[in-house]
Amino acid sequence: MTTPPGIDAATFADGLAAMRSAVGDEWVFDQPADLNTYRDFYSVLWGEPEEKLASAAVAPASVEEVQAVVRVANERRIPIYPISTGRNLGYGGSAPVLSGSVVVDLKRMDRVIEVNEDNCSALVEPGVSFFDMYRHLRESGSKLMMSVPDPGWGSLVGNALDSGGGYTVAGYRGHFEAVCGIEAVMADGELLRTGMGALPGSETWQQYRMGLGPCLDGMFRQSTLGVVTKMGFWMFPTPEAWLSGSVSVMRYEDLDELVRVANELEYGNLFNGMPGFSSPVLTQENPIAMAMIPEPEVMNRMVAESGVPAWSFSPNFYGPERVIREQWAYVKSRFEHIPGVQFAETGFVDLPLSPDDMERIHKPRFGIPSLEIFSVGSRGYGNFNPSDGHIWFSAVIPRSGQGIIDANRVMRAECERLGLDLFMFAPAVTCWTRSFVLFAAVPVYKDGRNEHLRDAVREIIRTCASHGWGEYRCPPAFMDDVMEAYSFGDHKLRRVNEQIKDALDPNGIISAGRYGVWPERYRHLRRDGGAA
Amino acid sequence: MISRRDFVKWGAVVPALGTGWHGAFAAAPQGLDAMLVDTRFPGALDVADAPVPVLRFAGDVTNVWYDRLDARWRRPGFVLGGITGSDALFVLETLATHQGRRVVSRMALDLPRVNDVQAMRWIIAPHHKSVTA
Repeated sequence: MTTPPGIDAATFADGLAAMRSAVGDEWVFDQPADLNTYRDFYSVLWGEPEEKLASAAVAPASVEEVQAVVRVANERRIPIYPISTGRNLGYGGSAPVLSGSVVVDLKRMDRVIEVNEDNCSALVEPGVSFFDMYRHLRESGSKLMMSVPDPGWGSLVGNALDSGGGYTVAGYRGHFEAVCGIEAVMADGELLRTGMGALPGSETWQQYRMGLGPCLDGMFRQSTLGVVTKMGFWMFPTPEAWLSGSVSVMRYEDLDELVRVANELEYGNLFNGMPGFSSPVLTQENPIAMAMIPEPEVMNRMVAESGVPAWSFSPNFYGPERVIREQWAYVKSRFEHIPGVQFAETGFVDLPLSPDDMERIHKPRFGIPSLEIFSVGSRGYGNFNPSDGHIWFSAVIPRSGQGIIDANRVMRAECERLGLDLFMFAPAVTCWTRSFVLFAAVPVYKDGRNEHLRDAVREIIRTCASHGWGEYRCPPAFMDDVMEAYSFGDHKLRRVNEQIKDALDPNGIISAGRYGVWPERYRHLRRDGGAA
Repeated sequence: MISRRDFVKWGAVVPALGTGWHGAFAAAPQGLDAMLVDTRFPGALDVADAPVPVLRFAGDVTNVWYDRLDARWRRPGFVLGGITGSDALFVLETLATHQGRRVVSRMALDLPRVNDVQAMRWIIAPHHKSVTA
């Protein structure tokens, strides 16, 4: 039996026995065939000695069982790694960051505790998937719409905790931004409720996020500090209609103005849906991977010869038809000063969606979970096969035209220099409020090529950091590297995180190493050996 | 853990499935509760007389899983055979694992690839005590 680092076999066996007593024998897994299902199938360490593997897994069904498991682990200093559903493919899946940890699989905690139609909010357990929630909303006749990522098979809680994003309305589609109220089992087994949840008898847990004093919801984002057992979400009332438009410009030089005006309009709430920024002329060959942005005269010549616009901005509107049509008209008026600008209404639907609409729309844009993205390869949309695997590179870049140009060129040039393939590349994804995130999907392999891939990705992380671009999320193999880039004040951010970690989890049992935060006892396992 | 009853049930099917598309359906009454067919592959429509329920989809498993399999997989039993693309199998296997099931047989089929996707035949059966019949 594999044992966690620093834990002898007898202690580990005793711990598993105690966990069996807490959750039932059939919900503790320590056989290789079972543990195989907790591997990260998109791991860049697949099959190598360093691959991050669970030593066991335990699946509690209630808060009390989670508390019991955590207490067992804390008493014996057994490292644990909670997952909600473990579907975070491309960012680590269900495998622990610290190899040898016991995965605490929360999939059995799948209750939708409350959907409050008047408050437009929900309270759920971590095992509730987006499909579960969608089914609940449909069957209850809810008027609410949720925001879902793509694919939608993950957990609301897990996805929010890792800062996942969807495609709907600002304030909701950055999933952690819509969180209001968390319940978590702390390392000592005690239960914490954040915000108004700390006030017994409060009916406002899912209304007022901050409560009193420091707002602690953020302590659990991408963190190592607790096992989240309940989470509240704000939800969007299903709108009457949706409209999508496009604003296309014909010159390289127009990008700055396109983004500047778009930003002003979004920040002024003139449109509420997720905007898109792209280059039609540079995505002719592959619609999901923008080519290298050439010099201005070259790009303008490409536009002139093809008639395809240089850049496009796609605002989306959710609301009553008469309101969103007026908003669209106003948005168009704000771009009319750009020579050669073109406008098009690219989509309109009344809600609820008709069966015909369901066949033609991108479902996540309407809060409908889907697995269709796994079959994009079969539509001839790139050469993507989900069983091969990929990782995401996701760096926050400046929200400006120059930001897009610089990020595109640096990333494309680095990938070419380092021989790194990309099958998807979008330099300006807008799930998160006021942000551009450069997204690149990097294929991973199971045949020995991953060592080069890891070296190349680490070099790109450093290159991006030298430009001031940091990843907001990454696979476990790169968490230390990414956190290393957040180095202001001699890595004060990491050091404060470590101080909090050591204070709240002195035995270092929860999610050691996640996002580069290691407890004192395991700090030497950091990629730099734990140097300050 | 697979019960003896389930083992016998799907175990009898495995050898017969090796002959490919038509062989799979000939074997179906021996132990499967349903078949899942990916209509992207040639021959997929040639199953009109299959003696077990046949579920069809074309690459995207969302609807067939959400409408049919999710609810069925929450209850004990149900052995599912399929001929699908490897991409769809990856998704189904992940979903099935979450619900206490395992792929107990899989084989690449000698069928023409569709958009570079390999056709696979497979069986997913209950594994965890909570869903074994």
